[in-house]
Amino acid sequence: MGRLKQKGKAGAAKAYMTRSAAVKKLQCSLADFRRLCILKGIFPREPRNRKKANKGSSAPTNFYYAKDIAYLAHEPVLRKLREHKAFAKKLARALGRGEWSSAKSLEDNKPVYRLDHIIKERYPTFVDAVRDIDDALCMIFLFASLPSDSKVSPSLVENCARLAAEWQLYVMHTHSLRKVFLSIKGVYYQAEVFDQTVTWLVPYQFTQTIPTDVDVRVMLTFLELYQTLLGFVFFKLYTDAGLVYPPPLDTQKDDGAAGVGAFNLQEAKPNRPVVTSARSKVVEVDGKRISSKDVRQTIKSISASGSGDVDVAMPSVDADPANEDDEEFVEDNTEDPEDHAPAAPAYTTATLPTLKTLSTIPRSTSAKLFAPYTFWLSRETSRPIFEFIVRSFGGRIGWPATSGSGSPFDENDESITHVIIDRPLVQRQNESEEEKERRRRRKYVQPQWVVDCVNAGKILLEDLYAQGKTLPPHLSPFGDHAEAYDPTAGLVGVEEEEDEVEEMEQEGAEVSEEEGAARPAKSVLKAAAAAEDDAALHAAEVAAEAAGVDYGTFEKEAKKAQKKAKKAEAAAEEEAERDMNKMMMSNKQRKLYERMKYGQKKRAEERQTLEQKKRAIEKEKKRRIQSS
Amino acid sequence: MAAAETKKLSKKRKATQEEDETPAPPPAAFPQEVGLEMGSEDEGAEGDDVSDDGEVDEFPEIDARSDTEDEEEESDDESAEAVEVEDEEEVEDESDDSDASDESLNVWPKPKTVVSDITGQPKRIYPEIEPDYDSDSSTEDTPNRVGNIPMHWYDDLPHVGYDINGKKVLRPARGDELDKFLKTVEDPDSWTSAFDKNLQMDKPLTAEELDIIRRLQEGENPDANYDPYEPTVEWFTGKGKEEVMPLSAAPEPKRRWVPSKWEKQKVMKIVRAIRQGRILPNKPKTANNQPQFYAIWNDEAPTGPAPPPAPKPRLPGHAESYNPPEEYLPTPEERAKWEATDPEDREREYLPQKYSALRLVPAYENFIKERFNRQLDLYLAPRVQRVKLRIDPESLIPKLPSPSSLRPFPVYKSLQVPHADVRVRAISVSPDGQWVVSGDESGVVRLWEVIVGKEVKRWTFKSKVGAVEWCPRTDVSFFAVAVEDHIHLIIPPNLPGPVLTATQHVLAPASLPPAPANPSPVKWSSVPAAQSSSDSPILSLSLPSSAEPPKQLVWHRKGDYLSSVSEGQGGVWIHQVSRRHSQAPFKKVKGTVQLVLFHPTKPHFFVATQRYVRMYNLAEQTLLKTLTPGIRWISSMDVHPSGDHLIVGGYDRKLCWFDLELSDKPYKILRYHSRALRSVHFHPTYPLFASSSDDGSIQIFHARVYNDLMTNPLIVPLKILRGHAVREGLGVFNVRWVPRQPWLVSAGADGQVSVWCS
Repeated sequence: MGRLKQKGKAGAAKAYMTRSAAVKKLQCSLADFRRLCILKGIFPREPRNRKKANKGSSAPTNFYYAKDIAYLAHEPVLRKLREHKAFAKKLARALGRGEWSSAKSLEDNKPVYRLDHIIKERYPTFVDAVRDIDDALCMIFLFASLPSDSKVSPSLVENCARLAAEWQLYVMHTHSLRKVFLSIKGVYYQAEVFDQTVTWLVPYQFTQTIPTDVDVRVMLTFLELYQTLLGFVFFKLYTDAGLVYPPPLDTQKDDGAAGVGAFNLQEAKPNRPVVTSARSKVVEVDGKRISSKDVRQTIKSISASGSGDVDVAMPSVDADPANEDDEEFVEDNTEDPEDHAPAAPAYTTATLPTLKTLSTIPRSTSAKLFAPYTFWLSRETSRPIFEFIVRSFGGRIGWPATSGSGSPFDENDESITHVIIDRPLVQRQNESEEEKERRRRRKYVQPQWVVDCVNAGKILLEDLYAQGKTLPPHLSPFGDHAEAYDPTAGLVGVEEEEDEVEEMEQEGAEVSEEEGAARPAKSVLKAAAAAEDDAALHAAEVAAEAAGVDYGTFEKEAKKAQKKAKKAEAAAEEEAERDMNKMMMSNKQRKLYERMKYGQKKRAEERQTLEQKKRAIEKEKKRRIQSS
Repeated sequence: MAAAETKKLSKKRKATQEEDETPAPPPAAFPQEVGLEMGSEDEGAEGDDVSDDGEVDEFPEIDARSDTEDEEEESDDESAEAVEVEDEEEVEDESDDSDASDESLNVWPKPKTVVSDITGQPKRIYPEIEPDYDSDSSTEDTPNRVGNIPMHWYDDLPHVGYDINGKKVLRPARGDELDKFLKTVEDPDSWTSAFDKNLQMDKPLTAEELDIIRRLQEGENPDANYDPYEPTVEWFTGKGKEEVMPLSAAPEPKRRWVPSKWEKQKVMKIVRAIRQGRILPNKPKTANNQPQFYAIWNDEAPTGPAPPPAPKPRLPGHAESYNPPEEYLPTPEERAKWEATDPEDREREYLPQKYSALRLVPAYENFIKERFNRQLDLYLAPRVQRVKLRIDPESLIPKLPSPSSLRPFPVYKSLQVPHADVRVRAISVSPDGQWVVSGDESGVVRLWEVIVGKEVKRWTFKSKVGAVEWCPRTDVSFFAVAVEDHIHLIIPPNLPGPVLTATQHVLAPASLPPAPANPSPVKWSSVPAAQSSSDSPILSLSLPSSAEPPKQLVWHRKGDYLSSVSEGQGGVWIHQVSRRHSQAPFKKVKGTVQLVLFHPTKPHFFVATQRYVRMYNLAEQTLLKTLTPGIRWISSMDVHPSGDHLIVGGYDRKLCWFDLELSDKPYKILRYHSRALRSVHFHPTYPLFASSSDDGSIQIFHARVYNDLMTNPLIVPLKILRGHAVREGLGVFNVRWVPRQPWLVSAGADGQVSVWCS
């Protein structure tokens, strides 16, 4: 006989730990514990059986994995937190005694923790990190727009703004923005970085106030982690793109509210030698036998040079918005034409299908959607949003000085093709000839046009979005779930159906107008359909005759009706059979089935209500058109 | 101390030189050697003061008595010292007194001072030392020579040892305590005496010894000659004694005055580091708290899986657009409903809104709140990984053969026999399938034909009918009716002659069987065959009285045994018609018996209590097994004609199918009725069974049982028969199959008895 198993010595009782037990074990305060959990990404778990995990108690508690807590116990940050506690005491004492110098030296040697190791632990590979920056970006963009107060320090806001600008610069530089959605909450952007879709939400430019029921400490702790994470991610992204990180900031421009334009993207120097060496290696290879290592190296070098070349080749507006043009990049190309020789044809003529051109082809169309156009932002449009979008898709954009400094051109520039304007159409009286001419040549579009073009992946007709027009609905590029109502596809099918229904209605109306006895006839037909035996059918026939329906039509109608009834009956029978078969399901299966059915039904209802509403709206529209 | 002593000694010596004018003894054995050894010309020439003397005289302290060389030495020095003798006279005078006292205290052997014949100067002569092995001993004069042995060896002897000549040293007389005391009184010295172990007697301490004791007591140095306040001896630094010549000829090293090169190097290292900025003096450690970024992902990724990424928030749909299609805008009702619900219960955290232009879109007021909630979700919400099922829910429904392929089974109500709006609880179909008896709560029992429903006969009893049951025998024809505490056996009318006589013979034989040995409380009373008619029961059994009539009657398949179940303990009776004998098979049953049942083939007997079904072997009178259906209250039970399967229905809407050979637990539990089950019945020949419920419906099942043990029984729901009305929450009380036909007879609380045909 084996040893008796004691309760609470193995299994869930050992694997889980309540929060209070965890706090006790770590010998820290609850606030510190929360902080650690946020930083280390430790979250509560749901045990299969709460009672077993909590020594038979069913009190509502949060459970953590005991191993997670054991792992927290060795955390350097926890040690630093303890040191900080001691430091706080020392400082309080020094201040209380009025020992200012010792307080100052204490303050200078305040324990500070670093989060590098946590970043590495939580995201062992770079792709892991990129996959998880959504929330970080949302927070950074939010805090970049917050007013600083006692809780949110100005340096924090500044750092967030810097990180946000760096991210936007990178996205613009690599043309990796894919989708944009103007929602009531803010602007959703989706970019594709390292094959990972990164979605972030940027609030509209209004002053946000932190509500009182929000714990700012929690947000700041998250922000601490996110700042570090984004710093490392951006470092890697920038260095991989051959850029210097952090990009130097032009403070003068920054003071002039140049936004992202205040940063200078600099090419990292050591990138060039790599390219040349790679090329020379290729040359060597021609005569030699190629080892796998060589091949790998060449591939690596090619890809490295490729990424470098691509961004150089693109007519982007990254480097310095103040004096940047396409020429600058042409210069760049001419500087060392040998290095970039393969890149230039890849962009200008697609005659040679090199690896680089192949890799750029699929996205070249939409990535440089706005490359041929030059935009001018009207004063009332949001500059950060549209500057980012247009530049991400290769366009040039200018703005009036009221929207900030650093516009590459002014309003009178001849190259402007589109004006993004968001105000009602007003007839101008005193317009000079020149202005009129200019107005004629430019296209005035509402901001939604830019976003819809981006989402459609092509340049849409500007007429629908012209100034002062009622805009077509703006749809989410992310789409809804599979069974959801589709506002675009629904239009056609619904219309047909509707027509049918309407026709029927109209017919009925006509009939009722023609014959007063139409209603009894209908009821007679119904009776015929319902008649199960000959006697009932006969009775129905008699009734029909009395109603004045001639026999031929009655026969036809009766048959049709019976057929229909039979079909319906068969369907009902099948349904009943299925219902009966449900009796034989096990309890578990039945519950699962019911849950699934519930979900399906709910979605279908949602869809139906939307379709109904749509139908009603369409009808209303038609009526209005007819009446007018 | 040594120096001090020697000084003292030298003083003494000088004193004695003055005092004693004794002739010098003959020279010692080896004066030359000593003189050679000690005689230092330099010192002698140099040492022209007292201290020099002292230094020279250091040796006598060590071996004072063994040497006689002092004399020689002195004599050597005499010439040198003679000059100074005059000078020292004053000193000697002073020390005279102390010397006198010192003499007595001196431990050393006393020297004699004589005047040397050679020099004419006085000199000290110490007593001769005999150079034998004991020459050094201070205990020479002790008479007892036993040595250092435990003296108790002599305890029993009259002597305490031997003297040097081998004569016994007699034990001195020692007085008793009184003598001791007297001695202390009489002898003033007795307190200064101590017991001498060797001599076994008290010996007075000498003055020196007492002095030592006194010094020890006072914490002084025990040596009387020790002078702690001696003036310093200035050997080299005194006046005129300054050292003018260097002790070493080595030149002074450079390091004494040149600054250290190595120190300078070390300092310079630090200085350089500070200049280059490697070391920041007073650098605040926290000033540079901007995180430094580096290529953290360049080195190898650790093996092992990455922590699972946090679930991403759902992407926004069309409804969230600033300019959504119009159909997404909420109607006033929807808006009101949304506003009425709590924020946590809302399906969407926002209401779709439409703005005609982007510039009109305001700030979203819950932006920060939503971000915060997302973060709370990230670190406070328990996460469970769930596999998302990608299956069609319809695939969960088991695939069963279509009911149409399993015909025949009852599908419609062919006729209805009303019972004057009284609940009909009991029905029974005759074994030939022609007749039905139904009994209602007003005490009316009706006999009618199955096919046309024509009532043939009606009996009226005083109170409600608990059960009716046809005897399963085909050669005779009668049925049992349970009313009050009676069971009446009735012969239906219009029987063919032979059957009637056979029946009468069975129920009312000409010669009654002999009365049983131990008569039971059940009374059997019959009407003679000749007077019997179908109007009244031919045979009646009166059970022990109870409030309710027996609620169940069951015939054994051979038609001789009839079992009845009444309320209360001991309500189970088995009656044997042929012997007119009743017996209660159970003295005591756990729980109240709900139902009983005879096994169709074996002498087994099922007893259903409220929760369990027990299976007894009547022949062996043993309990075979207890079935646990898991039903709270069993309402009905039937056994399959093969005898291997049992179905049990309960008031908690469950129906359990037991495979008796498989397990004590149900093979299948079905719950399909919406109200309590009232009755279940297996068709005797067709693979069908039916269940009726208080929801007014009857469910027909196809139940095929295979002889093969490996194949599970196939249960297919076939049809739900509806037609009985529900009265006061009661539906269909009883269902019975018509033997040999797939027809069903059902009795309901609405007072209808219906026949359902295929």
